[in-house]
Amino acid sequence: MTRPGFAARHSVAISVAVFAAAAVLLPWVGAGSIDVGRVLRREAPDYEILLQLRVSRTLLALVAGGALSLVGTLFQAMLRESLATPDTLGISAGAALGAVVVISAGGTTLFGVPATWVGALTGALLVLLLVVGGSLRRRQLSAFRLLLTGIAINSVCAAFILILSSFAGVARSFSITRWLLGSVDSTSYESLAVLAIVVACGAGLIFSQARSWNLLAVGEQWAVARGVRVGRLLGGGYLAGSVLVAGAVALTGPIGFVGLIVPHLVRRRISPDHRILMPCAFFLGGALLAGCDAIGRVVLAPAEVPAGAILALLGGPYLVWIIRGRSSEAG
Amino acid sequence: MSELLEVEGVGFRYGSRSVLREVSFAAGRGEFVAIVGVNGAGKSTLLDLISGFKESACGHVSIEGKLQREWTQRELAKRMSHLPQTTETGLPFSAGQMVAMGRYPHTDQWFESEEDHRLVHAAMVRTHSWEYRDRRFASLSGGERQRVLLAACLAQDASILLLDEPSTFLDIEAQLHCFTLLRDEAATGRLCLAVTHDLNLALTYCTRLLVLAEGMVAKDISTAAVGGDHEWLGMFSPRLRLTETPGGAPWIWYQ
Repeated sequence: MTRPGFAARHSVAISVAVFAAAAVLLPWVGAGSIDVGRVLRREAPDYEILLQLRVSRTLLALVAGGALSLVGTLFQAMLRESLATPDTLGISAGAALGAVVVISAGGTTLFGVPATWVGALTGALLVLLLVVGGSLRRRQLSAFRLLLTGIAINSVCAAFILILSSFAGVARSFSITRWLLGSVDSTSYESLAVLAIVVACGAGLIFSQARSWNLLAVGEQWAVARGVRVGRLLGGGYLAGSVLVAGAVALTGPIGFVGLIVPHLVRRRISPDHRILMPCAFFLGGALLAGCDAIGRVVLAPAEVPAGAILALLGGPYLVWIIRGRSSEAG
Repeated sequence: MSELLEVEGVGFRYGSRSVLREVSFAAGRGEFVAIVGVNGAGKSTLLDLISGFKESACGHVSIEGKLQREWTQRELAKRMSHLPQTTETGLPFSAGQMVAMGRYPHTDQWFESEEDHRLVHAAMVRTHSWEYRDRRFASLSGGERQRVLLAACLAQDASILLLDEPSTFLDIEAQLHCFTLLRDEAATGRLCLAVTHDLNLALTYCTRLLVLAEGMVAKDISTAAVGGDHEWLGMFSPRLRLTETPGGAPWIWYQ
């Protein structure tokens, strides 16, 4: 199948439709039912609940989930390893540590942007420099070594976060813990707009190289022999990927597994061609996180289960399933 | 007039181990050159240096009279394709998608054009791989994969084909087909450089033999003139003997 077949072309359209449907329908799902008539008449409290709380968090989940899923696809292409995600490489953990440092220091805004963003981006880029920078210089990126380094970074960051939260006061400690669970809380429309712009630019940049990611996913030599400037491509990919992860993590906390489940499913069921895979992964990843957030709102109502917890409950078994599938393929 | 490919004193070392010391040769259109040598002689490394995947420690490579490093990666890829010795086997792509990647340097179009599809189809038909174009590359056998990789090289439509052991995993019929195909490609004005261990395939199909030993071109001989000269066989094994087929072509056998 060298040309995007009927099914592949349509799957992008279907993904967009799912994404749009999630944006329109999921805000209505929640502990308290919302009356359409009252919303249309802009009556309190239904109108405010929908607009101020539900819509903004649904949009946040859509954008953040899409970004994490897309970056998962990206890292998997760059490292030719389907287990490479922002979490397994330690980039999410770095972003989380950066954000926690800022939260426990009590920072709110820095140069007009939320301080957690600055912290998360700094953390993500530091990890990137540490992990990838070293291996890039040797032009040898062993996926296995990077994943092991990721495990180490995850533990170190987790330790620092524990230390920080044990020194923070009760209130701050609670907000750190809550944030770490990976919750999609309602957020201001200003932050949402900034995130949407960052994600749109970063995702556009990544997606514009889809043909090159295809070649890189086969091998570095394969890509070089076909005219890809691999060094530049990898550098740009890591940078854009980290910015997206940092942006998403700063607003939602470290949410894992979106970047693992969605790309894996799309690659297997729809197409491994990044021109199809990347948009599908973005839109379906967003819809998945928004869906998990909606489930979390109703499953134990009136209590709320963070979307990250729901995802981990789905993603853990899925990961085991991937690994089992692998060993049977090898054997 | 400069040759299509000129290799001028290139060398390469892995750490402290020098693999190629000083390799020089030139080759032009219409030639089918076999690069032979014992394991570790630096045959694959030489192809990597020519393709630009590895950087030579000394000397230089010129393509169409222009230094290789002065070409952009993409312009180079339009002129030179490379069949790798190994690829990852767990790739998710279909055979057809792999071959279509050969069209990458020729276009900025997002999806392949009709022309691209025509070339992909032609390349896959020629290597007898069209029938499994929709199968996952990972599910193919070693020989089937090799045909797909060769088709990807042909689809790239380059004037220089660098082939790292193109006949590995192929059954005998497919080996003969592969070398016939490469000989035909050379006859249409391309230059084929194939690393191989099969000396008889090389003698039968190639126009020229480059023997690499001790980091240099130890022997550079036209296959047509190989008859009287068999000293170089000793570089491979003392047990090799040169004889003639009933048709009068040179043939190597071992005791």
